[in-house]
Amino acid sequence: MRGWGLTLRGLWERRTLSLIVLVVALVPVATASVGPIFAESAGTEIVRTTLAESTPDERGWRFTAPHSGVPAQAARFAAGGSFLHPPIKGMELLSPEATSLTKYPLMWQDGQCEHVTLLVGRCPAAAGEIMVSRAAGFPLGHRVRVTGVIERPKPDGKSRPAPLQVVGVYHAPNPGDPFWFGRNLFAQSAGFTEGNGDPLFTVPATRESTVVNGATWTDAATVVIDATRITAADLPRLAELDASAQQLANADTETIVFSGLAGPLGELRSQTASLGVPALLVIAQLVGLGWLLLFLTVSDLVTARGPEIALARLRGHGRLRVWRFGLAEPLVLLAVALPAGLALGLALASAMAGALLTVAVPVTVTGQSVLAGAAVLLGGVVAAGLAARNVAVRPVTEEWRRTPRRTARGWIIDAVILAVTGLGLAELLTTGIITENSGQQAGALAVPGLLAVAAALLSCRFLPSLARRLFGPTRRAGGIGVFLALRQIARGPATAGSLIVLGTAFGLATFATAAWSVTSANFERVARIHNGADAVLITRTESVADFRKAVERADPSGVRAAPVLVLPGPPKMLATDPARFAHVANWDRPAASLTGRLGADVAPRVTLTGDRFRLRIHPVEIPKYWEVRMFADLRVPGEATVKSIPLGAPDRAMLEWGLPPACRTAPCELRGLRGDVSYLSGADMDEHPLLAIEATEVATRSGGRWRAIDAGLTDPDRWRGTGSAGADGLTLDMAAFTATKMIPATYPEELPALVNSLTGNDFTPGLDQAYLVRQAPVPVGPAVPGLDVPGGVVDLELADRVAFAIHPKAEFQVWVAPGHLAAVRDGLLAQGLPVYEPRLMSGLVARYSSQGPGLALMLLLMAAIAAAVLALGRAVLALYSAARQRGYELAALEAAGARTPALRSALLLEQLIILCAGMLAGVTSGVVAAWAALPRIPEFVVPPITPPLLYEPSLPLLAAVTGGALLAALVAAAVTAEILLRGVRPDRLRGAPG
Amino acid sequence: MTAAVRCDGIVQIYRTRELEVVALRDVDLVIDPGETVALLGPSGAGKSTLLWLMAGLLRPSAGRLRLNGSDVSRLSPRALDRMRAADIGVVLQNPSRNLIPYATPAQNVAFAQRAARPDRRRVAELLDRVGLGGNRHPHAGRMSGGEQQRLAVAVALANAPRLLLADEPTSQLDAASGEAVIDLIKETAVETSSTVVVVTHDPVVSEALGRTITIRDGRVGTEGRHGEDFVVIGREGAVQLPPEFHELLPPGTMARIEPLADGVVLRRAEPGDDGDETRRAGR
Ligand SMILES: Nc1ncnc2c1ncn2[C@@H]1O[C@H](COP(=O)(O)OP(=O)(O)O)[C@@H](O)[C@H]1O
Ligand SMILES: [Mg+2]
Repeated sequence: MRGWGLTLRGLWERRTLSLIVLVVALVPVATASVGPIFAESAGTEIVRTTLAESTPDERGWRFTAPHSGVPAQAARFAAGGSFLHPPIKGMELLSPEATSLTKYPLMWQDGQCEHVTLLVGRCPAAAGEIMVSRAAGFPLGHRVRVTGVIERPKPDGKSRPAPLQVVGVYHAPNPGDPFWFGRNLFAQSAGFTEGNGDPLFTVPATRESTVVNGATWTDAATVVIDATRITAADLPRLAELDASAQQLANADTETIVFSGLAGPLGELRSQTASLGVPALLVIAQLVGLGWLLLFLTVSDLVTARGPEIALARLRGHGRLRVWRFGLAEPLVLLAVALPAGLALGLALASAMAGALLTVAVPVTVTGQSVLAGAAVLLGGVVAAGLAARNVAVRPVTEEWRRTPRRTARGWIIDAVILAVTGLGLAELLTTGIITENSGQQAGALAVPGLLAVAAALLSCRFLPSLARRLFGPTRRAGGIGVFLALRQIARGPATAGSLIVLGTAFGLATFATAAWSVTSANFERVARIHNGADAVLITRTESVADFRKAVERADPSGVRAAPVLVLPGPPKMLATDPARFAHVANWDRPAASLTGRLGADVAPRVTLTGDRFRLRIHPVEIPKYWEVRMFADLRVPGEATVKSIPLGAPDRAMLEWGLPPACRTAPCELRGLRGDVSYLSGADMDEHPLLAIEATEVATRSGGRWRAIDAGLTDPDRWRGTGSAGADGLTLDMAAFTATKMIPATYPEELPALVNSLTGNDFTPGLDQAYLVRQAPVPVGPAVPGLDVPGGVVDLELADRVAFAIHPKAEFQVWVAPGHLAAVRDGLLAQGLPVYEPRLMSGLVARYSSQGPGLALMLLLMAAIAAAVLALGRAVLALYSAARQRGYELAALEAAGARTPALRSALLLEQLIILCAGMLAGVTSGVVAAWAALPRIPEFVVPPITPPLLYEPSLPLLAAVTGGALLAALVAAAVTAEILLRGVRPDRLRGAPG
Repeated sequence: MTAAVRCDGIVQIYRTRELEVVALRDVDLVIDPGETVALLGPSGAGKSTLLWLMAGLLRPSAGRLRLNGSDVSRLSPRALDRMRAADIGVVLQNPSRNLIPYATPAQNVAFAQRAARPDRRRVAELLDRVGLGGNRHPHAGRMSGGEQQRLAVAVALANAPRLLLADEPTSQLDAASGEAVIDLIKETAVETSSTVVVVTHDPVVSEALGRTITIRDGRVGTEGRHGEDFVVIGREGAVQLPPEFHELLPPGTMARIEPLADGVVLRRAEPGDDGDETRRAGR
C-alpha cells in the first residue's frame, strides 16, 4: 500500500516519541493481560487438581435406561464439550445364578478387556462367552447359567437358561479407575459378598442370541471429563452440561443420570469466584492509567505531526486521505503494541505460572486478556482520533501562525471526576467486603484510580496558581533559572498533563505497594497463626506418654520441637507441653508468662495394675428398702470412655471385683469411687438417713498377691467430690436421692486454657472430645498459634489426666522451630513412628498467594512496577516535549546571553517541582485509597476468623518505593535535560516560526 | 473571459485573544488568466494573507473572492480541497514548511500529486528542472535552504496548477538559482497558460514578471506594468501615496486637488496660502 514507507519513515523520524508511545502502550497492555492469562492458568490448575482429587463418579455422568437410545443420547451429550472423553457404552443385566442364587451382573462395557487383568484364558469374543473374576470361582470352560437369560425358545416350546461359557478369569481391577465410574462392582473380590457376585463380562452378541426372562437389559453410557484437557474457561460449559444432563433425565423418564459432579463444581465455583474482584480491580486501574497515558502521549504524537497534516490539507488531499495520513503512525504503533504487549504478558504469565503453579498447565492468551489489552489501547485510539480531528479540522493556516486563543480548561470534567470519586468513596466506605455478585460496586472498585486522578487534577489546578503567586517575589530576588521555571509552570497547560500522569501513576504505585505490603503481611500473619509453628509434622502414637517421649527423644534440647495434640472441638483445643510450646510456636509474647499460666498443682495419679480390685471400707448398715451399690471408675487403655466396675453394697468390709483384662499388662487409672441408691417399693420417703461410707484402703491383686495402692485416701488434697478425705480415710457421703462420688484430684476443676476469644466459661473438648471439664480461660488476645477458629491451648499432661482416651480425630502434631525440621523428623522416623509430609508456614503463604486473591496481589505488584515505569517514562517524555516545544525559546534566550547553567537549572527546577508535586498528590491519594479500599478487598478465599487482619502498610517500604521512583525520575530528568541543552543552538532560530 | 482571481473589497481580520488585527482592508484586484504577477510590499503588509486567501486556505472576513469565477465563500471545504488539489499550487514562505522532512524529493513531489498513484515521469521531469534530478538526494529535511526552496517549487508544480501561488520563493537562493527558479515558473506559466502570483522582495523577480502589485497597510498601493508604477484608485476614490512622495506630502498634510483634463494634481495646501505660492515654496 502506498504510504507505508512514509509512515515507517515518519515513525523513525520521531523515534523517541514513537518509542515512548510504544512503551506506554505496551506496558499497560502487558500488565493488563497478565492478569487474565495467569488467572486462567491458575484457574485451570485449580480445576484440574480438584477434578483429579475427586472420585470417579464426581468426574462425569453415567446415563442408564432400559432401552438402546442411551448411547446416542450420551454421544450427543459428549459432543457438547471438547474436554469430554467419548462415551463408554455398556449394557448389563442383573440376575441370580441358577444354582447358588448369587446375583451376578452379566455385563459388557466397551473396552472392558483393557481395564481388567486376565489371569487365565481370554476375553469373551462371541455370543455366550463370559469372563469371570477369580473370586467368583468358576473354572475355565464352565458353563454358567443365570436365570435372567434363556435360550431362544426351541420348537418344543421349552425354555432353558442360556449357557454362558467361561473363557477367561480376570483379576478384579482398581475400582478407582474412572472407567468403572466409581461403582462398587467388584464386591465379591473385595470380600463383601452379601449375595452379589462380580460381573460376568460378555459381548453384546450374547444379548442378541438370547431372550430375557424376568430381567431387563439396562443400556448405559459413561461420559468422563478429561482432567488433563479441561481448562478454567470450560467451567461455565461444564456447569451447563451438568444442568443439561439433569434436564435430559427429567425429559425422558426412563433415563437415569448418575453424577457426583455437583460437589466439585460447587467447590470450584467458590474457589474461582474469589479471583474476580481483585483481578478486576487491578485491571480496571491499569486500564485507567493506560488510557490516561496513552491519551497524552498519542496526542503528543499526533500534534507533532501537525505540520505534515497541514501540508496534506494544503495539497488538497481528500478527507479520508488526510485522516489516514494523520492516524497512520499512532495506529501502527498501537497495532504493534497489542500483540507485543500480549506476547510480553504471556511471557510474564508463563514465568509466574512456572514459579507459582504446582501442576504444568497451558498458559495461553485468552479472549479476556485480549479484551483487557484492547481496552487499554482504546484510550490511545480515542486520543489519536480526537487529536487528529483537532489538527484536521482547524484552519490550516493556524498550523503556521498560531492565533493565541483562550485555552482555559473547563471545570466540568474536573467536577464530574471529583463527584464520581466522592460517590465511589462513599459507596466503598459504607459497604463491607466487596464480593463478586455485587456488580453495583463498580464505582467503589474504581476508587483508587479515581482518587489518584482527582488528586492529580486538584494539584494541577493548585500548582500553577501557586507558581503565579511566587512569580513576583522571584522576579525580584531569585535568579533567572527560578524565574523561568516558575513562569513555565504558571503557564499551566504544559504542566497539567505531566502532573496528571505523575500524580495518577504515583497514586497507583503507592496504592499497589500499600496493598502488596498489607496483603503479604496478612498472608504471613495468618500463616504464622494457622500453621502455629514454622513447620508442623504429623505423626501418631499410642498414648500421650509415648507422644511426649517421642518428642523428647527427637529433640532432647527442649526448645526445638513441641508435641501438640489437636482436637477439632469446637472450641478447638491444642494440648501441648507449655515449655516447649513457648519456644517453638509462632508467638510474640514472652514465653515465660505462658508456661506459668497453664500449669496447676495436682495430685499424683492412682494407677492400678493387676487382675482384681479391692476397696476396704467400714461396713455400714443399709436402711430398709434401700439398694446401695458402689462402683470404681477406671480409665482403661484402649477403651474410649470410662469403665466402671461394680463393687456391690457397702455392707461388707471388702468390696472387690475383677479388673478389665487390659489392666493386667498396662496400667489402668482409678478415676473415681462412687455409689448410688435405688429405692425398693415401700421405702419411707420421709425418712432421710445419711450414710457415710469410709474407705480406708485400695488394693490390687496381681500374681495372686494383694498389694495396697497409695491412693492418698487420708490426704484431703488428693480427693474431691461429695465427701472428704481425712485421717479416717475417704468418706463418701450418701444422702437420700443423691449419688455420691469422690475423684482423685489429679487435675484442676477448671483447666487453664489460653484462649483467643472469650466464649464464656465453656467446657473444653478434652483429648477424648468428651467435654468433661470446664476451662479457666486466660485471654491472650485474638491470635493464638495453631488456632484458626475459636479455641484454646491447654497443658497436655493435665488434659491427658482429664481424658479417658484420645479421640480418633485428634491429630498428633510435632511443631518444629525454624531450621530444625530435618533433625526432628529424622529423630521421629528413627523411633519407627509414621511421619507425614510437613506442613510449612511458607507453604501456607504460597498457597494463599496462588489462590484467587493472592494472585491478584501478584498482579498488583506488577501494576505497581508498571505504574512506576510509566511515571518515569512520562517524566522523561514531559521534559522532552516541553524542552522541544521551548527549543526556540531556549535558543533565543541563549542567543540573548542567558548562560546555559541558568537554563539548565530552570529546566531541572521545573521538572523537580512538577515531580515533587506529582509525587505528593500521588502518595496522598494512594494512602487514602489504601486506607479506604484495602479493608474491603478480599484477600483470602475464606476470610480467616482469626487472627484479625491488619491494614497498615509498611511505611519504610512505601517511602523506599516512592523515593526510589522519584529519584529515578529525577536522574532521568537530569539526563534528558542535559541531552536537550546540548542540542539547543542559536542557529535553530533560523527555522523559527514566522 | 472570467478572471483567474477577482477580489472585490476583501477584508481580512485576525482575531486574537486581546485584539483584532486587520490584515487586509478593501482589496480590489483582478488577475487575468495567464498573467504573471509579483506581489510587493513591506513586511506585515498582508501579502501572505492575500496569498492564503487566493489559495482558499482562509475565507475573507468581508468582501468577495472569486477564483476562476467561483465564489470562495460559497464553496464547501471539500470543494475547496478539490480545487486546491486540482488547480492550485502553493509555495509557502518558509521553505522547510512545504516539505515532509523525512521524505525524499521524489516522495515530496508525489505527495502533492492529485492522483493516489504518482506520475513518476512528471516527478522526475520536475526534479530535473529544479536541478534535483537523480536519486542521490537526501531527505528533504537534510537539504540546504536553497535546495528546499527549489524542491518546494517543484512540489507546487506537481499537479500542473492553473494558479501558482509562491510566497518569496527565491528568498534563500543566490541570484543565479533565483533566476533559474523564476524562469521555471515563467516557462510553466507559458506552457500551461497558468496564472502566477509571486510574493517577492527581489526586484529582479518583479521585473521578470508581467505585472507588479504593491500592498501597503492592507491595501493595494501601486501597480506596475512594464517597469512603470501606477497608483490605483481604490473604492470611494482612495489613493495610497507611495512612500517616496511622503517627503513632499507627509502623512497628515492637507492637500488641494486640482482637476486636469486626464486626471488630478495634488498640491500641499498651507493654511492661508494660495496654490501658486505652495508650488513655488515646494521647488
Ligand atoms: N494568525 C494571525 N493572527 C494574528 N495576526 C496575524 C496572523 N497572521 C498574520 N497576522 C497579522 O496580519 C498582518 C499581515 O500579515 P502577513 O500577511 O503575514 O504580512 P506579510 O506577508 O506581508 O508580511 C500582520 O500584521 C500580522 O501580524
Ligand atoms: Mg509574509
